[in-house]
Amino acid sequence: MPRDAFRVGLNVLACVFILFMLVSLFYLFAVVGGSWGLVYRAMLDTRVLGALWISTSSAFIVGGLAVVAAVPTAYLLTYKEFRGKELLETLLIEFPQTFPPATVGLVYLFMLGPGSPVNVAYTYLAVLIAKFYVSAPFALGLTVRRFNEVHSTGLDLIARTLGGRTKHVLLWILIPLSTRDLLAGFSLTWARAMGEVAATLVFAGAIPWRTEIFPAVVYLTSQSQPELALAASTFAGVLAIAALLSFKMVARGRR
Amino acid sequence: MKGLRVESVTKSYGNLRALDGVSLTVEPSELVVIMGPSGSGKTTLLLTVLGVLRADEGHVYLGGDLIDDLPIEERRIGYLPQDFGLFPHLSVRDNVAFGLRVVGYAKEAVAERVREVLGLVELEGFEGRMPGQLSGGEKQRVALARALAVNPNLLLLDEPLSNVDEATKAEVKAKLKNIIEETRVTTVCVIHDARDAFDLGDRIAVMHAGKIMQFAKPPDLIKSPSSDLVRSLIASVC
Repeated sequence: MPRDAFRVGLNVLACVFILFMLVSLFYLFAVVGGSWGLVYRAMLDTRVLGALWISTSSAFIVGGLAVVAAVPTAYLLTYKEFRGKELLETLLIEFPQTFPPATVGLVYLFMLGPGSPVNVAYTYLAVLIAKFYVSAPFALGLTVRRFNEVHSTGLDLIARTLGGRTKHVLLWILIPLSTRDLLAGFSLTWARAMGEVAATLVFAGAIPWRTEIFPAVVYLTSQSQPELALAASTFAGVLAIAALLSFKMVARGRR
Repeated sequence: MKGLRVESVTKSYGNLRALDGVSLTVEPSELVVIMGPSGSGKTTLLLTVLGVLRADEGHVYLGGDLIDDLPIEERRIGYLPQDFGLFPHLSVRDNVAFGLRVVGYAKEAVAERVREVLGLVELEGFEGRMPGQLSGGEKQRVALARALAVNPNLLLLDEPLSNVDEATKAEVKAKLKNIIEETRVTTVCVIHDARDAFDLGDRIAVMHAGKIMQFAKPPDLIKSPSSDLVRSLIASVC
């Protein structure tokens, strides 16, 4: 049987990519592998735990809010035709992912910081706002794509011919047929919010147990205690992998 | 039952004139087939009556009432697309009950009406099945039951036989005609195949290039086609 050189080439390229993506994770575990005591120490460190709580809780809130905001916005973008719709979609979905997060933090600091009538800088709310801007586009992008898919099947039209109004089309057709995508949107938003650092650091600062998020702790301790930073990252990494796999299992259960 | 009147309807997509002054009258309880080749404008006409498209000129009347500005959900027009459009996440029962629940029928009334229309389409016992577990013919009958459950003013069928295999086509066609006759619902059906059109229609509108070339009963069409073009379009049944 002749060897399929093209397929071999594809496999090699795939392996190179997989290796590149996984090597840093393996390296992290290899480095801390000899000193699990450090990981244990990190698990008991109140500053690390506080930052992990701020990061995780805010990521869950941002994920939930992003899905809630994505549904009506995606409905509007799917069904309403208006001038500048493509530009608006770009500004809402793709642009926030290219906008430097530090700039996002700076904009919010000027807009909602000490100099503005509404000062929420350096608060938990600031953490949520910064993370939301950077992460919510993931949920919106997936929801818009799915709503457009359902719209193209004409099932929403059938619902209307049966007397269904917007409420019925949205709650009985679009949302049930988009559950997996809404869960995936939540999961991606959560993941991005967990990793977000620059916008949050600039707008919310890093006040332990108030606004200090986990990536900030890692960054701030990486100079003085690099082993502790790596050990804490290992702990957080395991938690993140467990959470992401759980989201996937829930989504699979919805199929 | 209500009749349908389409009056001098014109619809263009850019430079392409999909409907060119189409007029058509469907009597209450009549089954009219719109027949023609691809691109003749028959689906555009169907979607204009349904309210998905808005005519550039002309008007659509249902039971004597002008419905040009009536939203789709208020027209009470049942619609069966080519793929039947069953909601994949809902059982047969919930598909059929959809329109009844929308208008707020009581639970018992919904169950009773679902039983009634599933009996009409000979699908008793299928209530708990999901659309993915049905054959093409069964899907069509569930879609028909769902549309009929809400007592529509008019039924629109878009190529109802295109997703039915040849082996069961004759049976599906006969059942479809029986159900429509039994319910006496006014029906407009788009079909490209002349043989199917002649088997189903009380009257047939032959369309070409956005115009109705001839509108007559099947025997009259065969006996005296209005042009060579009409003769060629119905050649397979002559």
